[in-house]
Amino acid sequence: MLLIILSIFLVLTGCSQVQKRSDSSAVPTNLLKADWNEVLTQAKGQTVNMYMWGGSESINRYMDEWIAPRLKKDYGVTLNRVPVNDINDVINKLLAEKQVNKTDGSVDLIWINGENFKNAKEHQLLWGSFDKQLPNFNQYIDANTPDIKDDFGLPTEGYEAPWGKAQFVFIYDSNKIKIPPTSMLQLANWVKQNPGKFTYPAPPDFTGSAFVRHALYETTGGYQQYMKPLDSKTLTPQLTPVWDYLKSIKPFLWREGSTYPESLAKLDQLYANGEVWMTMGYDPARASNEIKKGTFPVSTRTFVLEKGTLANTHYLSIPFNSTHRAGAMVAINFMLSPEAQIAKFDPVNWGEDMSLDLKKMSPEDQKRISGIDRGIATLSVGELASHRLPELPSEYVDFLDTGWLDYVARK
Amino acid sequence: MWQESKPYWLVLPAVIVIMILFFGGLIEGVAQSVGYFPAAGQFNFSTNAYHKLLISKDFWLALWLTLRISFLSTLLAGILGLGISLFFLRNERRKSRLRLWLQGLCNLPLVIPHFVGAYIMMLLLMQSGYVSRLCYYLGLIQQPEVFPVLTNDPTGWGVILTYTWKEAPFIALMVYPVLRKVYSDWQEVAKVFGAKPWQFFIEVSMPMLFPAWSSSCFIVFSFTFSAFEVPYLMGITYPKMLPVLSYSLYTNGGWNRMPEAMAINVLLTIITAFLGILAYKLNRRWGTPGRRS
Repeated sequence: MLLIILSIFLVLTGCSQVQKRSDSSAVPTNLLKADWNEVLTQAKGQTVNMYMWGGSESINRYMDEWIAPRLKKDYGVTLNRVPVNDINDVINKLLAEKQVNKTDGSVDLIWINGENFKNAKEHQLLWGSFDKQLPNFNQYIDANTPDIKDDFGLPTEGYEAPWGKAQFVFIYDSNKIKIPPTSMLQLANWVKQNPGKFTYPAPPDFTGSAFVRHALYETTGGYQQYMKPLDSKTLTPQLTPVWDYLKSIKPFLWREGSTYPESLAKLDQLYANGEVWMTMGYDPARASNEIKKGTFPVSTRTFVLEKGTLANTHYLSIPFNSTHRAGAMVAINFMLSPEAQIAKFDPVNWGEDMSLDLKKMSPEDQKRISGIDRGIATLSVGELASHRLPELPSEYVDFLDTGWLDYVARK
Repeated sequence: MWQESKPYWLVLPAVIVIMILFFGGLIEGVAQSVGYFPAAGQFNFSTNAYHKLLISKDFWLALWLTLRISFLSTLLAGILGLGISLFFLRNERRKSRLRLWLQGLCNLPLVIPHFVGAYIMMLLLMQSGYVSRLCYYLGLIQQPEVFPVLTNDPTGWGVILTYTWKEAPFIALMVYPVLRKVYSDWQEVAKVFGAKPWQFFIEVSMPMLFPAWSSSCFIVFSFTFSAFEVPYLMGITYPKMLPVLSYSLYTNGGWNRMPEAMAINVLLTIITAFLGILAYKLNRRWGTPGRRS
């Protein structure tokens, strides 16, 4: 009985706290125009609920142990990280909240890019153009480079602020594969010679979908032809080579292609168990991190294709009904600071490429960056940078994912 | 008056909450399935989604797979659950430590969430999993690859085994008290009339057990029929089980395919309700001897 009373009490007090918090953020100042100092004052004491993909231990650790304590200490903003499997679920949640006119949403900050950004922006699920408000954005980011201005072909228009850059790499066991393939054609040959030792996550998994795009680029002659609005009539015949390619390797995949791992996590597990000899992913430093954790064999290395692999930028954004916008702005600004970005770049924490412009950073910072050892399996910054390919507009991604189900998975 | 209606007033708050959440969700789902989706700017009512589903091969394959897998899971869990309760009934008098330990072990699956259960089965039964490796070390199989494919297999053994393992204790929990009561109340009587143990089991216990057993089986069936996480983790890419198909349409098919996803959910609800009525009728017909009222 006592427990019940106590828990009712807890719920009630919890509610009243929520009430108070939403009151304080309802101050009628326009944060999109306000002075930064005012944003800082308003942010103090807020708890920011950050919804983000929770599938990487090193990323989670960076957020919880590096970002959160500093944000709390320096700005009085508490960061509450909410892990999700797919940010799409959050977009759906926001959509539902918009449908019922819920103005005090629980999501304050989301990690987003590509298709999810497109969906969110087109349905007005994002708050507004806030990035020019962030001092660190203005000082350190080159807002005019194409890979920051556009997100999968869609102009960001300030609705999201670039957090980091990722590039696709293949991960392999150098004990089992002496010479890794350097093109999709060589990969196909290798797969045929080593039946059962390769597979990729089933699109629309983010990684699996990117693998299909690599096959598309190499079998149909590059990405340039797709940098225009989608026309499904002309596109369908154009795509035949990529489906043929994927069907030709299908019988030689893990489980003869009768099924595919549903997520990258599953593929990683197969790789860690030695069931397959390759995995892949959008994080060039992940292999080194996994070796350090002991999940991947120490002989693990990474490679990129001769013609390059996909690279993209990912962003931070604030939903239309965030209750703690000032806090979210301060958190984003902090995550775009040189110290936070350098710590993120360091493989001890995460090992991911920065979204800041190196030329805009101080000489000391540049020196610190060049001194960081990125781990045995991580390719050099130069090697990665010289093998970078742009992403397709996101409607193509959707089209390819559906096509994959029709032409590859079902056959 | 108050004394009579009191229980109803007391459950009213809970009923209201359930009504709002359950029927609210259901109505919302039905509305979206017929194309009413204001947030995405869709207002035109149509049965397009149902039409699209009913002519697609994906849907029928998924429905067939889902029915088959849930039926097999329920059957196996039902038999195993009954077996477990009989086993504990036979050993009831023995207060050995082994029995208590076994009972604890049988209750364990009840407290484990389904996705954790699926993950455990996965780690155990993958070709590179613990069981396979153990067999390899014991020399039972030459290579880990020889181990039968039990997870993410086209037949759905992974899903079936997970549900069997997870739901059998639930069925045992529902059946055991009834079984115990039947034996304590009727066994002596039956003996007096000269019934052999197996006759007693078939002719007395079974009919009295049937309502409890069949309704718990129905709960298991409707759960496995519409649950998502186990088939998502243990199923195959194509065909998908219905809940997974619905999820993938909802999250990844673009916003224009959401009505289809909702239509699947509505059909799932209709089928489950239909089977529920069927189970109820069956109970009334076969279960009468066990009914007290």
